[in-house]
Amino acid sequence: MYYPEPISKLIDSFMKLPGIGPKTAVRLAFFVLNMKEDVVLDFAKALVNAKRNLTYCSSCGHITDKDPCYICQDDKRDRSIICVVQDPKDVIAMEKMKEYNGLYHVLHGAISPMEGIGPEDIKIAELFRRLQDETVQEVILATNPNIEGEATAMYISRLLKPTGVKITRIAHGLPVGGDLEYADEVTLSKALEGRREL
Amino acid sequence: MFEKCEGIVIRTIDYGETNKIVTIFTREWGKVAAMARGAKKPSSRLSSVTQMFTYGIYLIQKSRGVGSLQQGELLSTMRHIREDIFLTAYASYVVELTDKATEDRRPNPYLFELLLQTLTYMNEGLDAEVLTYIYEMKLLPAFGLYPKLDGCAVCGEKEGTFAFSIAQGGFLCHRCFEHDPHRIPMTPSVLKLLRLFYYVDLSRIGQIAVKQETKQQLQTIISAYYDEYSGLSLRTKRFLQQLHTLKGEGGQI
Repeated sequence: MYYPEPISKLIDSFMKLPGIGPKTAVRLAFFVLNMKEDVVLDFAKALVNAKRNLTYCSSCGHITDKDPCYICQDDKRDRSIICVVQDPKDVIAMEKMKEYNGLYHVLHGAISPMEGIGPEDIKIAELFRRLQDETVQEVILATNPNIEGEATAMYISRLLKPTGVKITRIAHGLPVGGDLEYADEVTLSKALEGRREL
Repeated sequence: MFEKCEGIVIRTIDYGETNKIVTIFTREWGKVAAMARGAKKPSSRLSSVTQMFTYGIYLIQKSRGVGSLQQGELLSTMRHIREDIFLTAYASYVVELTDKATEDRRPNPYLFELLLQTLTYMNEGLDAEVLTYIYEMKLLPAFGLYPKLDGCAVCGEKEGTFAFSIAQGGFLCHRCFEHDPHRIPMTPSVLKLLRLFYYVDLSRIGQIAVKQETKQQLQTIISAYYDEYSGLSLRTKRFLQQLHTLKGEGGQI
């Protein structure tokens, strides 16, 4: 080994992160050596705390340090709407928008024929259980507009139809700043289907 | 140097924050992988052409490893396949089978045409289950499998009552039944269809109406044959089975 053991261990640890190769790991490790001790301690604590204290909300499946999560606990939120998303990161994206005031349900994945992920491998049964409570009147399917997301939305909508709950799908269309010329026929026709009067 | 090809996207893998590696089965060069930079960004002009099952003209900068996808022009998005969970499942199985049956950069225009036709027919609403059986039968030679379907696999006799023998690798006439105690019984229509699927060109088969029990028998025979000889264990096939089980249980999807 060219490096003393503590630093080579640090390099190995950095290399476990995605997208970090040996060179970057060495650069980061040497950067850490030059950092102040209390900053390094805070960094190490943040890593351990994130791992130890975070759990999934027993109601919606979002990542949280308290169960139920702050969204599920909030009394000001509209409990008659549930927005179904694939991933905790999608909840954050929706929250950043600041225009949605309902609850969420995180599926932790999407049905994927190519990956062999079936309906039983994601949190669909939990969603179904939440709907037994009659306060829910609308389910918004906000899965990604790709093959997996569409398959998941399609499956859930077929499954929930008999319950009589209103099921909606987020709009598809042209992205802000996009180019009409490069939009595919599916996007364009969906954009046309969902047109609005100005 | 950019080169143009006609192809179908058969696999995509996310790479980093915004990139995708797409595997395209092309008419000109067979299966090639290409990096589509920025294809995961919503406003990327590559995002629509790198969706699964998309048929289009692609401009690729070829290199020894993974090439780089520069441009794409859509010929068909196979929209109806993407909008139906069952069609998506069948089409995924068909493309995964193609992926396993082919090697990188080995042109196979016959297989390309077959895949294109199969997906197009699925997209047009023809029975996806039957199309999948036809595709499975036609793909057997690509795996080096040649079942004996023009007569008995043991004595070669062309007349009589036939069953399917996995052990003997083909049809078995009633005179040779003792050669395989595990033979799978089949009706004359299944025999006719297996032959038709194996020998006749897909464009000439056209629309076929197949009864549910016949489909069941076809599935049993083709699956058993693949399980025994191909050595494949496909995730898309398990997904299809899971979907069928759920459909059978609840009948809601």
